[in-house]
Amino acid sequence: MNYYQTEINRIRRICYSNDKQLKTVIAIRNFIDNNFDQELNLDILSRTHFTSKYHLLRLFKRYYGLTPKQYLTIKRIDESKKCLTKGMKVSDTCYRVGFGTPSSFSTLFKRKIGLSPTSFEKEQLSQCESAAGL
Amino acid sequence: MKVKVVSIPVQNQERALTFYTEIVGFVKKHDVPLSENNRWLTVVAKEEQEGVEVLLEPSPENFEPAKTYQKALFDTGIPHTQFNVNDVQKEYERLINLGVTFSLKPTEMGTVKIAVFDDTCGNNIQLVEML
Repeated sequence: MNYYQTEINRIRRICYSNDKQLKTVIAIRNFIDNNFDQELNLDILSRTHFTSKYHLLRLFKRYYGLTPKQYLTIKRIDESKKCLTKGMKVSDTCYRVGFGTPSSFSTLFKRKIGLSPTSFEKEQLSQCESAAGL
Repeated sequence: MKVKVVSIPVQNQERALTFYTEIVGFVKKHDVPLSENNRWLTVVAKEEQEGVEVLLEPSPENFEPAKTYQKALFDTGIPHTQFNVNDVQKEYERLINLGVTFSLKPTEMGTVKIAVFDDTCGNNIQLVEML
């Protein structure tokens, strides 16, 4: 066993020995991945996973380094990038990935990506055209 | 300020290009001749060709401390960098079938699954799947 493997085992013993907690947070993340386009909040997540919302919030942050809401936003923004790259309209993209209003979607998108959804879409289109030699 | 390029030190650029394109599945992005036989050689993920470029940097051939550092990391099994995949087990099986050697088989580590392979250019590379 090399040094890295020894360290992996040591860190796993220290940080990841609670299987029940791990199963819970992994199930919550999978639930978010599969339902990001629906209305999701701590109440819904805690009800579906039979745990208190404050415990859920602490666990998720402890294992993923993010709150469930932060993770959900990242997931929705990632999915919106896929939709915009395929040429979907900004307003359709907004509702497709679960955002409530185009303005909240545009604000969050610009904060996370550094471009408005419209500018991002134009940039993707221009990259496709240059890749095709147009 | 943006992150556009990260580098991997390689012992031989041509061999590295073959490994990273034909085995790993990346795509060549830039290949610019520089001094002697050195090139500004970058590859990108096939499904993210406008994403971060990986520079296959010939530093171990040209700079002794880089060679020493690379060898020390390699000998202890520490990955030089890591790439994200959707399914570590599937990628492990695909690479094993192509003759790639793994120093760490797919292993769960809390909320991720990891595996470490030898890139044949002096580095350990880690695959990561978020669970």
